[in-house]
Amino acid sequence: MILTRRVLGIALAGMVSTGLAAPAFAQTTSQSLSSESVIETIKKRGVIKIGLSLFVPWSMRDKDGELIGFELDVGRKLAEDMGVDVEFSPTAWDGIIPALVAGKFDAIISGMSVTAQRNLTINFTDPYAFSGLTILANKEMTEGFALEDFNSPDVTFSARRGATPAIVIAKTFPEAQLLQFDEDGAATQEVLNGNAHATMASEPTPSREARTYPDVLHVPFDMKFDRRGEGFAVRKGDPDALNYFNNWIAHHWRTGWLKERHDYWFTTEDWADQVN
Amino acid sequence: MRNFLKKLHWFDYLLVVLLVVFFGYIWLQIEGKLNYKWRWEIIPNYLFRYDDERGWVANVLVQGLVTTIRISIYASILAVILGTILGMARCAKSLTIRMLARTYLEFLRNIPPVVVIFIFFFFLSEQLVTALNIEGWARGIARQENNGIWEFFFGDMRRFPSVISGVIVLALFESAFVGEIVRAGIQSISRGQREAAQSLGMSWLDEMRFIIMPQALKKVLPPLANQFISLVKDSSIISLISVQELTYKTVELVSSTRAIFEAWITTAALYFGLCFSLSMLFRYLERPRKGQQAR
Repeated sequence: MILTRRVLGIALAGMVSTGLAAPAFAQTTSQSLSSESVIETIKKRGVIKIGLSLFVPWSMRDKDGELIGFELDVGRKLAEDMGVDVEFSPTAWDGIIPALVAGKFDAIISGMSVTAQRNLTINFTDPYAFSGLTILANKEMTEGFALEDFNSPDVTFSARRGATPAIVIAKTFPEAQLLQFDEDGAATQEVLNGNAHATMASEPTPSREARTYPDVLHVPFDMKFDRRGEGFAVRKGDPDALNYFNNWIAHHWRTGWLKERHDYWFTTEDWADQVN
Repeated sequence: MRNFLKKLHWFDYLLVVLLVVFFGYIWLQIEGKLNYKWRWEIIPNYLFRYDDERGWVANVLVQGLVTTIRISIYASILAVILGTILGMARCAKSLTIRMLARTYLEFLRNIPPVVVIFIFFFFLSEQLVTALNIEGWARGIARQENNGIWEFFFGDMRRFPSVISGVIVLALFESAFVGEIVRAGIQSISRGQREAAQSLGMSWLDEMRFIIMPQALKKVLPPLANQFISLVKDSSIISLISVQELTYKTVELVSSTRAIFEAWITTAALYFGLCFSLSMLFRYLERPRKGQQAR
Protein backbone atom coordinates (compact mmCIF):
# COMPACT_ATOMS: atom_id res chain seq x y z
CA MET A 1 0.00 0.00 0.00
CA ILE A 2 2.78 2.40 0.96
CA LEU A 3 4.55 1.46 -2.21
CA THR A 4 1.58 2.27 -4.40
CA ARG A 5 1.12 5.59 -2.68
CA ARG A 6 4.75 6.45 -3.25
CA VAL A 7 4.48 5.53 -6.93
CA LEU A 8 1.39 7.67 -7.24
CA GLY A 9 3.21 10.57 -5.64
CA ILE A 10 6.08 10.31 -8.06
CA ALA A 11 3.72 10.12 -11.01
CA LEU A 12 1.87 13.23 -9.81
CA ALA A 13 5.08 15.13 -9.31
CA GLY A 14 6.14 14.19 -12.79
CA MET A 15 2.92 15.46 -14.28
CA VAL A 16 3.08 18.76 -12.43
CA SER A 17 6.67 19.45 -13.43
CA THR A 18 5.90 18.70 -17.08
CA GLY A 19 3.01 21.13 -16.86
CA LEU A 20 5.26 23.85 -15.43
CA ALA A 21 7.89 23.26 -18.04
CA ALA A 22 5.41 23.46 -20.92
CA PRO A 23 5.87 27.20 -21.67
CA ALA A 24 9.59 26.63 -21.99
CA PHE A 25 8.92 23.86 -24.49
CA ALA A 26 6.73 26.18 -26.56
CA GLN A 27 9.65 28.46 -27.34
CA THR A 28 11.90 25.73 -28.62
CA THR A 29 8.98 24.30 -30.56
CA SER A 30 8.57 27.40 -32.67
CA GLN A 31 12.29 27.41 -33.40
CA SER A 32 12.34 23.82 -34.48
CA LEU A 33 9.14 24.22 -36.48
CA SER A 34 10.89 24.73 -39.79
CA SER A 35 13.12 21.72 -39.31
CA GLU A 36 10.12 19.60 -38.35
CA SER A 37 8.02 20.67 -41.32
CA VAL A 38 6.60 17.87 -43.34
CA ILE A 39 8.49 19.31 -46.32
CA GLU A 40 11.74 18.38 -44.55
CA THR A 41 10.44 14.90 -43.80
CA ILE A 42 9.52 14.42 -47.45
CA LYS A 43 12.94 15.53 -48.63
CA LYS A 44 14.70 13.29 -46.15
CA ARG A 45 12.52 10.30 -46.97
CA GLY A 46 12.70 10.93 -50.70
CA VAL A 47 9.02 10.09 -50.98
CA ILE A 48 5.85 12.14 -50.65
CA LYS A 49 2.95 10.14 -49.29
CA ILE A 50 -0.46 11.26 -50.50
CA GLY A 51 -3.75 10.03 -49.10
CA LEU A 52 -6.73 9.71 -51.38
CA SER A 53 -10.09 8.07 -51.66
CA LEU A 54 -11.31 6.81 -55.01
CA PHE A 55 -13.88 9.04 -56.63
CA VAL A 56 -14.44 9.23 -60.39
CA PRO A 57 -12.93 11.17 -62.12
CA TRP A 58 -10.75 12.58 -59.37
CA SER A 59 -9.10 9.20 -58.90
CA MET A 60 -9.96 5.65 -59.94
CA ARG A 61 -8.49 2.30 -60.90
CA ASP A 62 -7.99 1.64 -64.59
CA LYS A 63 -8.27 -1.75 -66.30
CA ASP A 64 -4.79 -2.70 -65.14
CA GLY A 65 -5.58 -1.88 -61.52
CA GLU A 66 -3.39 1.22 -61.67
CA LEU A 67 -4.52 4.52 -60.17
CA ILE A 68 -5.43 7.22 -62.68
CA GLY A 69 -7.31 10.51 -62.47
CA PHE A 70 -6.95 14.21 -61.87
CA GLU A 71 -5.52 13.78 -58.36
CA LEU A 72 -2.92 11.37 -59.64
CA ASP A 73 -1.75 13.85 -62.27
CA VAL A 74 -1.54 16.54 -59.60
CA GLY A 75 0.27 14.28 -57.13
CA ARG A 76 2.79 13.02 -59.68
CA LYS A 77 3.49 16.52 -60.96
CA LEU A 78 3.94 17.77 -57.39
CA ALA A 79 6.40 14.98 -56.61
CA GLU A 80 8.25 15.60 -59.85
CA ASP A 81 8.63 19.29 -59.02
CA MET A 82 9.86 18.44 -55.52
CA GLY A 83 12.31 15.93 -56.93
CA VAL A 84 10.97 13.01 -54.89
CA ASP A 85 9.04 9.80 -55.53
CA VAL A 86 5.34 9.64 -54.92
CA GLU A 87 3.33 7.08 -53.01
CA PHE A 88 -0.46 7.08 -53.01
CA SER A 89 -2.31 5.57 -50.06
CA PRO A 90 -5.89 4.79 -50.99
CA THR A 91 -7.85 5.24 -47.77
CA ALA A 92 -11.50 4.92 -46.83
CA TRP A 93 -13.10 8.36 -46.96
CA ASP A 94 -14.50 8.06 -43.44
CA GLY A 95 -11.08 7.62 -41.91
CA ILE A 96 -9.02 9.82 -44.19
CA ILE A 97 -8.81 12.85 -41.88
CA PRO A 98 -7.91 10.81 -38.76
CA ALA A 99 -5.31 9.01 -40.86
CA LEU A 100 -3.76 12.33 -41.93
CA VAL A 101 -3.72 13.55 -38.34
CA ALA A 102 -2.16 10.25 -37.22
CA GLY A 103 0.62 10.84 -39.74
CA LYS A 104 -0.13 8.04 -42.19
CA PHE A 105 0.57 10.40 -45.08
CA ASP A 106 1.86 13.91 -45.67
CA ALA A 107 -1.15 15.42 -47.41
CA ILE A 108 -4.61 14.56 -48.64
CA ILE A 109 -5.10 15.32 -52.32
CA SER A 110 -8.51 13.84 -52.85
CA GLY A 111 -10.88 16.50 -54.11
CA MET A 112 -11.61 17.49 -50.54
CA SER A 113 -13.69 20.66 -50.43
CA VAL A 114 -12.62 23.27 -47.96
CA THR A 115 -15.29 23.43 -45.29
CA ALA A 116 -15.34 25.32 -42.03
CA GLN A 117 -15.93 22.09 -40.13
CA ARG A 118 -12.97 20.23 -41.61
CA ASN A 119 -10.79 23.28 -41.31
CA LEU A 120 -11.10 23.07 -37.54
CA THR A 121 -9.14 19.82 -37.60
CA ILE A 122 -6.81 20.23 -40.56
CA ASN A 123 -5.36 23.00 -42.69
CA PHE A 124 -6.21 23.55 -46.33
CA THR A 125 -4.15 25.06 -49.11
CA ASP A 126 -5.57 27.46 -51.66
CA PRO A 127 -7.95 25.70 -54.04
CA TYR A 128 -6.43 23.72 -56.90
CA ALA A 129 -9.86 22.94 -58.33
CA PHE A 130 -13.40 24.24 -58.08
CA SER A 131 -16.55 22.23 -58.06
CA GLY A 132 -20.26 22.46 -57.55
CA LEU A 133 -22.94 19.94 -56.81
CA THR A 134 -25.88 19.19 -59.06
CA ILE A 135 -28.96 17.09 -58.44
CA LEU A 136 -29.16 13.73 -60.18
CA ALA A 137 -32.76 12.60 -60.13
CA ASN A 138 -34.90 9.67 -61.15
CA LYS A 139 -36.80 10.91 -64.23
CA GLU A 140 -40.06 9.11 -63.62
CA MET A 141 -40.30 9.83 -59.91
CA THR A 142 -39.52 13.53 -60.13
CA GLU A 143 -41.45 14.42 -63.27
CA GLY A 144 -42.50 18.03 -63.24
CA PHE A 145 -40.79 18.71 -59.93
CA ALA A 146 -39.74 22.27 -59.31
CA LEU A 147 -36.83 22.86 -57.00
CA GLU A 148 -39.15 23.45 -54.03
CA ASP A 149 -40.91 20.14 -54.62
CA PHE A 150 -37.79 18.30 -53.57
CA ASN A 151 -38.10 19.75 -50.09
CA SER A 152 -40.88 17.46 -48.91
CA PRO A 153 -41.09 14.51 -46.52
CA ASP A 154 -42.20 12.32 -49.46
CA VAL A 155 -38.89 12.83 -51.22
CA THR A 156 -35.91 10.62 -50.43
CA PHE A 157 -32.33 11.58 -51.16
CA SER A 158 -29.32 9.27 -51.09
CA ALA A 159 -25.71 10.29 -50.53
CA ARG A 160 -22.31 9.11 -49.46
CA ARG A 161 -21.88 9.20 -45.70
CA GLY A 162 -19.70 12.00 -44.39
CA ALA A 163 -19.24 13.61 -47.80
CA THR A 164 -20.24 17.17 -48.64
CA PRO A 165 -23.40 16.27 -50.64
CA ALA A 166 -24.96 14.66 -47.56
CA ILE A 167 -24.49 17.87 -45.60
CA VAL A 168 -25.73 20.10 -48.42
CA ILE A 169 -28.83 17.96 -48.95
CA ALA A 170 -29.67 18.10 -45.27
CA LYS A 171 -29.32 21.88 -45.33
CA THR A 172 -31.01 22.68 -48.66
CA PHE A 173 -33.85 20.17 -48.35
CA PRO A 174 -34.40 19.84 -44.60
CA GLU A 175 -37.82 18.22 -45.02
CA ALA A 176 -36.63 15.42 -47.31
CA GLN A 177 -35.47 11.99 -46.12
CA LEU A 178 -31.81 11.15 -46.47
CA LEU A 179 -30.38 7.66 -46.98
CA GLN A 180 -26.64 7.40 -46.43
CA PHE A 181 -24.22 4.90 -47.95
CA ASP A 182 -20.54 4.21 -47.69
CA GLU A 183 -19.84 4.66 -51.36
CA ASP A 184 -21.02 6.81 -54.18
CA GLY A 185 -21.98 3.88 -56.36
CA ALA A 186 -24.58 2.70 -53.87
CA ALA A 187 -26.11 6.17 -53.60
CA THR A 188 -26.58 6.38 -57.37
CA GLN A 189 -27.86 2.82 -57.50
CA GLU A 190 -30.65 3.68 -55.07
CA VAL A 191 -31.82 6.44 -57.41
CA LEU A 192 -31.64 4.02 -60.36
CA ASN A 193 -33.70 1.46 -58.47
CA GLY A 194 -36.29 4.03 -57.55
CA ASN A 195 -35.63 3.74 -53.82
CA ALA A 196 -34.51 7.34 -53.70
CA HIS A 197 -35.77 10.27 -55.73
CA ALA A 198 -32.43 11.95 -56.15
CA THR A 199 -28.86 12.25 -55.09
CA MET A 200 -26.36 15.05 -55.26
CA ALA A 201 -22.79 14.86 -56.44
CA SER A 202 -20.05 17.07 -57.81
CA GLU A 203 -19.99 17.51 -61.52
CA PRO A 204 -19.18 15.82 -63.83
CA THR A 205 -20.45 12.63 -62.18
CA PRO A 206 -24.19 13.44 -62.39
CA SER A 207 -23.99 14.37 -66.08
CA ARG A 208 -22.03 11.21 -66.85
CA GLU A 209 -24.53 9.02 -65.02
CA ALA A 210 -27.41 10.72 -66.82
CA ARG A 211 -25.70 9.96 -70.14
CA THR A 212 -25.20 6.30 -69.14
CA TYR A 213 -28.84 5.79 -68.13
CA PRO A 214 -30.72 8.34 -70.26
CA ASP A 215 -34.08 6.61 -69.75
CA VAL A 216 -33.99 6.71 -65.98
CA LEU A 217 -31.77 9.53 -64.78
CA HIS A 218 -31.57 13.19 -65.53
CA VAL A 219 -29.97 16.32 -64.16
CA PRO A 220 -33.09 18.49 -63.76
CA PHE A 221 -31.44 21.82 -62.95
CA ASP A 222 -28.39 23.58 -64.28
CA MET A 223 -28.07 25.28 -60.95
CA LYS A 224 -25.01 24.33 -58.95
CA PHE A 225 -25.25 24.05 -55.22
CA ASP A 226 -22.59 24.80 -52.74
CA ARG A 227 -19.82 26.01 -55.02
CA ARG A 228 -16.53 25.31 -53.34
CA GLY A 229 -12.85 25.09 -53.83
CA GLU A 230 -10.87 21.93 -53.25
CA GLY A 231 -7.54 22.17 -51.52
CA PHE A 232 -4.76 19.89 -50.34
CA ALA A 233 -5.24 19.02 -46.68
CA VAL A 234 -2.24 19.10 -44.35
CA ARG A 235 -1.76 18.76 -40.61
CA LYS A 236 -2.11 21.87 -38.46
CA GLY A 237 0.88 23.80 -37.25
CA ASP A 238 2.98 23.50 -40.40
CA PRO A 239 3.24 26.93 -42.09
CA ASP A 240 6.16 25.80 -44.27
CA ALA A 241 4.16 23.06 -45.93
CA LEU A 242 1.21 25.41 -46.51
CA ASN A 243 3.50 28.00 -48.06
CA TYR A 244 5.13 25.45 -50.34
CA PHE A 245 1.87 23.90 -51.55
CA ASN A 246 0.17 27.29 -51.98
CA ASN A 247 2.97 28.57 -54.14
CA TRP A 248 3.03 25.36 -56.13
CA ILE A 249 -0.71 25.67 -56.79
CA ALA A 250 -0.47 29.39 -57.63
CA HIS A 251 2.34 28.65 -60.07
CA HIS A 252 0.38 25.97 -61.87
CA TRP A 253 -2.71 28.15 -62.08
CA ARG A 254 -0.57 30.79 -63.80
CA THR A 255 0.94 28.34 -66.27
CA GLY A 256 -2.51 26.94 -67.01
CA TRP A 257 -1.43 23.38 -66.23
CA LEU A 258 -4.05 22.85 -63.53
CA LYS A 259 -6.85 24.12 -65.74
CA GLU A 260 -5.69 22.01 -68.66
CA ARG A 261 -5.59 18.80 -66.57
CA HIS A 262 -8.88 19.63 -64.88
CA ASP A 263 -10.56 20.16 -68.26
CA TYR A 264 -9.16 16.88 -69.53
CA TRP A 265 -10.64 14.84 -66.68
CA PHE A 266 -13.83 16.79 -66.09
CA THR A 267 -15.07 18.04 -69.44
CA THR A 268 -13.88 15.33 -71.82
CA GLU A 269 -14.39 11.58 -71.82
CA ASP A 270 -11.10 10.83 -73.58
CA TRP A 271 -10.02 8.75 -70.60
CA ALA A 272 -13.20 6.69 -70.39
CA ASP A 273 -11.82 3.73 -72.37
CA GLN A 274 -9.03 3.34 -69.82
CA VAL A 275 -11.58 2.36 -67.19
CA ASN A 276 -13.91 -0.11 -68.88
CA MET B 1 -27.98 -42.28 -59.62
CA ARG B 2 -31.08 -44.50 -59.73
CA ASN B 3 -30.54 -45.48 -56.17
CA PHE B 4 -30.20 -41.88 -55.21
CA LEU B 5 -33.50 -40.96 -56.88
CA LYS B 6 -35.27 -43.86 -55.20
CA LYS B 7 -34.18 -42.65 -51.82
CA LEU B 8 -35.94 -39.30 -52.29
CA HIS B 9 -39.12 -38.77 -50.40
CA TRP B 10 -42.04 -36.70 -51.76
CA PHE B 11 -41.04 -34.07 -49.23
CA ASP B 12 -37.63 -33.74 -50.85
CA TYR B 13 -39.28 -32.95 -54.19
CA LEU B 14 -41.42 -30.33 -52.48
CA LEU B 15 -38.30 -28.77 -51.01
CA VAL B 16 -36.63 -28.62 -54.43
CA VAL B 17 -39.70 -26.98 -55.95
CA LEU B 18 -39.84 -24.44 -53.13
CA LEU B 19 -36.17 -23.58 -53.58
CA VAL B 20 -36.61 -23.10 -57.33
CA VAL B 21 -39.62 -20.85 -56.75
CA PHE B 22 -37.74 -18.87 -54.13
CA PHE B 23 -34.70 -18.19 -56.30
CA GLY B 24 -36.87 -17.59 -59.34
CA TYR B 25 -38.78 -14.95 -57.40
CA ILE B 26 -35.55 -13.24 -56.35
CA TRP B 27 -34.33 -13.34 -59.94
CA LEU B 28 -37.58 -11.80 -61.18
CA GLN B 29 -37.28 -9.07 -58.58
CA ILE B 30 -33.76 -8.28 -59.69
CA GLU B 31 -34.65 -8.32 -63.38
CA GLY B 32 -37.92 -6.46 -63.12
CA LYS B 33 -37.55 -3.95 -60.32
CA LEU B 34 -33.85 -3.28 -60.34
CA ASN B 35 -32.67 -0.82 -62.92
CA TYR B 36 -29.28 -2.18 -63.53
CA LYS B 37 -27.07 -2.81 -66.51
CA TRP B 38 -25.23 -6.04 -65.83
CA ARG B 39 -21.69 -5.89 -67.08
CA TRP B 40 -20.26 -9.26 -66.13
CA GLU B 41 -17.85 -9.07 -69.04
CA ILE B 42 -15.63 -6.56 -67.25
CA ILE B 43 -15.05 -8.77 -64.19
CA PRO B 44 -12.61 -11.42 -65.54
CA ASN B 45 -10.16 -8.66 -66.43
CA TYR B 46 -10.13 -7.56 -62.79
CA LEU B 47 -9.22 -11.07 -61.71
CA PHE B 48 -6.38 -11.62 -64.13
CA ARG B 49 -5.18 -9.35 -66.86
CA TYR B 50 -2.79 -9.80 -69.75
CA ASP B 51 0.37 -7.79 -69.48
CA ASP B 52 2.36 -7.37 -72.67
CA GLU B 53 5.65 -7.98 -70.91
CA ARG B 54 4.87 -10.44 -68.14
CA GLY B 55 1.97 -12.43 -69.55
CA TRP B 56 -0.97 -13.12 -67.27
CA VAL B 57 -0.79 -11.26 -63.98
CA ALA B 58 -3.14 -10.88 -61.03
CA ASN B 59 -5.32 -7.78 -61.11
CA VAL B 60 -6.99 -6.00 -58.19
CA LEU B 61 -9.38 -8.72 -57.00
CA VAL B 62 -6.85 -11.54 -57.01
CA GLN B 63 -4.24 -9.23 -55.47
CA GLY B 64 -6.75 -8.54 -52.72
CA LEU B 65 -7.45 -12.25 -52.28
CA VAL B 66 -3.73 -13.00 -51.95
CA THR B 67 -3.38 -10.26 -49.33
CA THR B 68 -6.35 -11.69 -47.45
CA ILE B 69 -4.74 -15.14 -47.45
CA ARG B 70 -1.38 -13.77 -46.31
CA ILE B 71 -2.90 -11.71 -43.51
CA SER B 72 -5.10 -14.60 -42.39
CA ILE B 73 -2.13 -16.97 -42.14
CA TYR B 74 0.11 -14.57 -40.21
CA ALA B 75 -2.70 -13.38 -37.98
CA SER B 76 -3.74 -16.93 -37.11
CA ILE B 77 -0.18 -17.96 -36.26
CA LEU B 78 0.15 -14.93 -34.01
CA ALA B 79 -3.33 -15.50 -32.58
CA VAL B 80 -2.52 -19.11 -31.72
CA ILE B 81 0.66 -18.07 -29.90
CA LEU B 82 -1.06 -15.26 -28.00
CA GLY B 83 -4.15 -17.38 -27.42
CA THR B 84 -2.15 -20.26 -25.95
CA ILE B 85 -0.44 -17.89 -23.53
CA LEU B 86 -3.80 -16.38 -22.68
CA GLY B 87 -5.41 -19.78 -22.21
CA MET B 88 -2.62 -20.87 -19.89
CA ALA B 89 -2.85 -17.60 -17.99
CA ARG B 90 -6.56 -18.22 -17.52
CA CYS B 91 -5.70 -21.45 -15.70
CA ALA B 92 -2.74 -20.04 -13.76
CA LYS B 93 -2.48 -20.38 -9.99
CA SER B 94 -1.86 -16.70 -9.37
CA LEU B 95 -5.06 -14.70 -9.00
CA THR B 96 -3.49 -11.57 -10.53
CA ILE B 97 -2.56 -13.36 -13.74
CA ARG B 98 -5.95 -15.00 -13.94
CA MET B 99 -7.73 -11.70 -13.46
CA LEU B 100 -5.55 -9.89 -16.00
CA ALA B 101 -6.20 -12.54 -18.61
CA ARG B 102 -9.90 -12.52 -17.81
CA THR B 103 -10.08 -8.72 -18.12
CA TYR B 104 -8.42 -8.75 -21.52
CA LEU B 105 -10.72 -11.48 -22.70
CA GLU B 106 -13.95 -9.99 -21.42
CA PHE B 107 -13.04 -6.65 -22.93
CA LEU B 108 -12.55 -8.14 -26.35
CA ARG B 109 -15.53 -10.42 -26.22
CA ASN B 110 -17.95 -7.70 -25.26
CA ILE B 111 -16.95 -4.94 -27.63
CA PRO B 112 -17.98 -5.04 -31.30
CA PRO B 113 -15.07 -6.05 -33.55
CA VAL B 114 -15.21 -2.80 -35.54
CA VAL B 115 -14.65 -0.75 -32.40
CA VAL B 116 -11.85 -3.04 -31.24
CA ILE B 117 -10.19 -2.76 -34.63
CA PHE B 118 -10.25 1.05 -34.60
CA ILE B 119 -8.95 1.23 -31.02
CA PHE B 120 -6.15 -1.24 -31.65
CA PHE B 121 -5.26 0.42 -34.91
CA PHE B 122 -4.97 4.01 -33.74
CA PHE B 123 -3.69 3.39 -30.23
CA LEU B 124 -1.59 0.28 -30.52
CA SER B 125 -0.40 -1.03 -33.84
CA GLU B 126 0.14 2.46 -35.16
CA GLN B 127 2.40 3.26 -32.18
CA LEU B 128 4.28 0.00 -32.64
CA VAL B 129 4.88 0.67 -36.31
CA THR B 130 6.15 4.18 -35.54
CA ALA B 131 8.24 3.18 -32.54
CA LEU B 132 10.06 0.40 -34.37
CA ASN B 133 10.47 2.52 -37.51
CA ILE B 134 8.99 -0.34 -39.50
CA GLU B 135 8.08 2.04 -42.25
CA GLY B 136 11.59 3.23 -43.02
CA TRP B 137 12.87 -0.31 -42.85
CA ALA B 138 10.20 -1.59 -45.25
CA ARG B 139 10.84 1.24 -47.67
CA GLY B 140 14.52 0.37 -47.66
CA ILE B 141 13.69 -3.16 -48.69
CA ALA B 142 11.20 -1.99 -51.31
CA ARG B 143 14.00 -0.05 -52.97
CA GLN B 144 16.44 -2.95 -53.04
CA GLU B 145 16.87 -4.92 -56.21
CA ASN B 146 16.59 -8.41 -54.78
CA ASN B 147 13.50 -8.26 -52.66
CA GLY B 148 11.73 -11.21 -54.27
CA ILE B 149 11.54 -13.23 -51.09
CA TRP B 150 10.07 -10.32 -49.11
CA GLU B 151 7.57 -9.63 -51.88
CA PHE B 152 6.57 -13.28 -51.87
CA PHE B 153 5.79 -13.23 -48.17
CA PHE B 154 4.44 -9.73 -47.69
CA GLY B 155 3.52 -8.36 -51.14
CA ASP B 156 4.54 -4.83 -52.05
CA MET B 157 6.89 -3.81 -49.24
CA ARG B 158 5.70 -0.21 -49.37
CA ARG B 159 2.39 -1.51 -48.06
CA PHE B 160 4.12 -3.49 -45.31
CA PRO B 161 3.22 -1.18 -42.38
CA SER B 162 -0.47 -1.40 -43.20
CA VAL B 163 -0.28 -5.18 -43.66
CA ILE B 164 1.52 -5.61 -40.36
CA SER B 165 -0.91 -3.41 -38.44
CA GLY B 166 -3.74 -5.38 -39.99
CA VAL B 167 -2.12 -8.63 -38.84
CA ILE B 168 -1.54 -7.34 -35.30
CA VAL B 169 -5.06 -5.96 -34.95
CA LEU B 170 -6.66 -9.14 -36.24
CA ALA B 171 -4.43 -11.40 -34.14
CA LEU B 172 -5.11 -9.47 -30.92
CA PHE B 173 -8.79 -9.64 -31.60
CA GLU B 174 -8.87 -13.35 -32.42
CA SER B 175 -6.48 -14.28 -29.62
CA ALA B 176 -9.31 -13.78 -27.12
CA PHE B 177 -11.36 -16.51 -28.78
CA VAL B 178 -8.37 -18.81 -29.27
CA GLY B 179 -7.60 -18.25 -25.59
CA GLU B 180 -11.04 -19.46 -24.58
CA ILE B 181 -10.71 -22.54 -26.78
CA VAL B 182 -7.30 -23.36 -25.28
CA ARG B 183 -8.61 -22.84 -21.74
CA ALA B 184 -11.48 -25.21 -22.41
CA GLY B 185 -8.95 -27.72 -23.73
CA ILE B 186 -6.72 -27.43 -20.66
CA GLN B 187 -9.64 -27.76 -18.29
CA SER B 188 -10.94 -30.79 -20.13
CA ILE B 189 -7.83 -32.75 -19.13
CA SER B 190 -8.78 -34.78 -16.12
CA ARG B 191 -7.52 -33.76 -12.71
CA GLY B 192 -5.76 -37.10 -12.35
CA GLN B 193 -3.27 -36.16 -15.06
CA ARG B 194 -2.28 -32.98 -13.25
CA GLU B 195 -2.06 -34.72 -9.91
CA ALA B 196 0.06 -37.48 -11.42
CA ALA B 197 2.42 -34.88 -12.90
CA GLN B 198 2.63 -33.07 -9.57
CA SER B 199 3.26 -36.28 -7.67
CA LEU B 200 6.16 -36.97 -10.02
CA GLY B 201 7.60 -33.68 -8.81
CA MET B 202 7.21 -31.86 -12.12
CA SER B 203 7.35 -28.08 -12.10
CA TRP B 204 4.34 -26.14 -13.41
CA LEU B 205 6.11 -25.47 -16.71
CA ASP B 206 7.05 -29.13 -17.21
CA GLU B 207 3.56 -30.21 -16.29
CA MET B 208 2.12 -27.89 -18.94
CA ARG B 209 4.75 -28.74 -21.52
CA PHE B 210 4.79 -32.51 -21.28
CA ILE B 211 1.47 -33.56 -19.80
CA ILE B 212 -1.32 -31.04 -20.24
CA MET B 213 -0.65 -29.14 -23.48
CA PRO B 214 -0.01 -32.15 -25.78
CA GLN B 215 -3.33 -33.66 -24.77
CA ALA B 216 -5.21 -30.37 -24.66
CA LEU B 217 -3.98 -29.16 -28.06
CA LYS B 218 -5.06 -32.40 -29.69
CA LYS B 219 -8.53 -31.87 -28.33
CA VAL B 220 -8.84 -28.25 -29.38
CA LEU B 221 -7.65 -28.69 -32.97
CA PRO B 222 -11.16 -28.92 -34.50
CA PRO B 223 -12.49 -25.76 -32.80
CA LEU B 224 -9.21 -24.00 -33.66
CA ALA B 225 -9.65 -24.88 -37.32
CA ASN B 226 -13.14 -23.48 -37.10
CA GLN B 227 -11.80 -20.30 -35.55
CA PHE B 228 -9.30 -20.00 -38.39
CA ILE B 229 -12.12 -20.02 -40.93
CA SER B 230 -13.96 -17.34 -39.03
CA LEU B 231 -10.72 -15.35 -38.89
CA VAL B 232 -10.58 -15.41 -42.69
CA LYS B 233 -14.07 -13.95 -42.78
CA ASP B 234 -13.35 -11.43 -40.01
CA SER B 235 -10.35 -10.21 -41.97
CA SER B 236 -12.81 -8.25 -44.13
CA ILE B 237 -13.24 -5.86 -41.20
CA ILE B 238 -9.71 -4.56 -41.50
CA SER B 239 -10.66 -3.02 -44.84
CA LEU B 240 -11.93 -0.23 -42.56
CA ILE B 241 -8.37 0.67 -41.68
CA SER B 242 -7.53 0.66 -45.38
CA VAL B 243 -5.54 -2.56 -45.51
CA GLN B 244 -5.57 -3.48 -49.17
CA GLU B 245 -7.28 -6.84 -48.84
CA LEU B 246 -10.14 -8.33 -50.83
CA THR B 247 -12.98 -6.27 -49.35
CA TYR B 248 -11.07 -3.02 -49.65
CA LYS B 249 -10.11 -3.75 -53.25
CA THR B 250 -13.75 -4.49 -54.03
CA VAL B 251 -14.84 -1.16 -52.58
CA GLU B 252 -12.27 0.51 -54.82
CA LEU B 253 -13.41 -1.45 -57.84
CA VAL B 254 -17.01 -0.47 -57.19
CA SER B 255 -16.16 3.20 -56.90
CA SER B 256 -14.15 3.04 -60.13
CA THR B 257 -16.49 1.02 -62.32
CA ARG B 258 -19.89 1.31 -60.60
CA ALA B 259 -20.35 -2.43 -61.19
CA ILE B 260 -21.68 -2.88 -57.66
CA PHE B 261 -23.40 -6.23 -57.90
CA GLU B 262 -20.91 -7.95 -60.19
CA ALA B 263 -17.98 -6.93 -57.98
CA TRP B 264 -19.61 -7.89 -54.68
CA ILE B 265 -20.97 -11.19 -55.99
CA THR B 266 -17.52 -12.07 -57.31
CA THR B 267 -15.99 -11.19 -53.96
CA ALA B 268 -18.57 -13.27 -52.13
CA ALA B 269 -17.72 -16.19 -54.42
CA LEU B 270 -14.00 -15.74 -53.73
CA TYR B 271 -14.53 -15.70 -49.94
CA PHE B 272 -16.83 -18.68 -50.17
CA GLY B 273 -14.35 -20.62 -52.29
CA LEU B 274 -11.56 -19.88 -49.84
CA CYS B 275 -13.46 -20.71 -46.66
CA PHE B 276 -15.22 -23.73 -48.11
CA SER B 277 -12.01 -25.30 -49.36
CA LEU B 278 -10.47 -24.63 -45.95
CA SER B 279 -13.32 -26.40 -44.20
CA MET B 280 -13.00 -29.34 -46.64
CA LEU B 281 -9.27 -29.44 -45.95
CA PHE B 282 -9.78 -29.49 -42.19
CA ARG B 283 -12.43 -32.16 -42.48
CA TYR B 284 -9.96 -34.26 -44.46
CA LEU B 285 -7.22 -33.70 -41.88
CA GLU B 286 -9.52 -34.57 -38.99
CA ARG B 287 -10.79 -37.82 -40.48
CA PRO B 288 -10.23 -40.81 -38.17
CA ARG B 289 -7.02 -42.58 -39.13
CA LYS B 290 -6.21 -46.27 -39.13
CA GLY B 291 -4.79 -47.51 -35.90
CA GLN B 292 -6.30 -44.60 -34.03
CA GLN B 293 -8.87 -45.82 -31.62
CA ALA B 294 -12.27 -44.25 -31.80
CA ARG B 295 -13.23 -42.25 -28.76
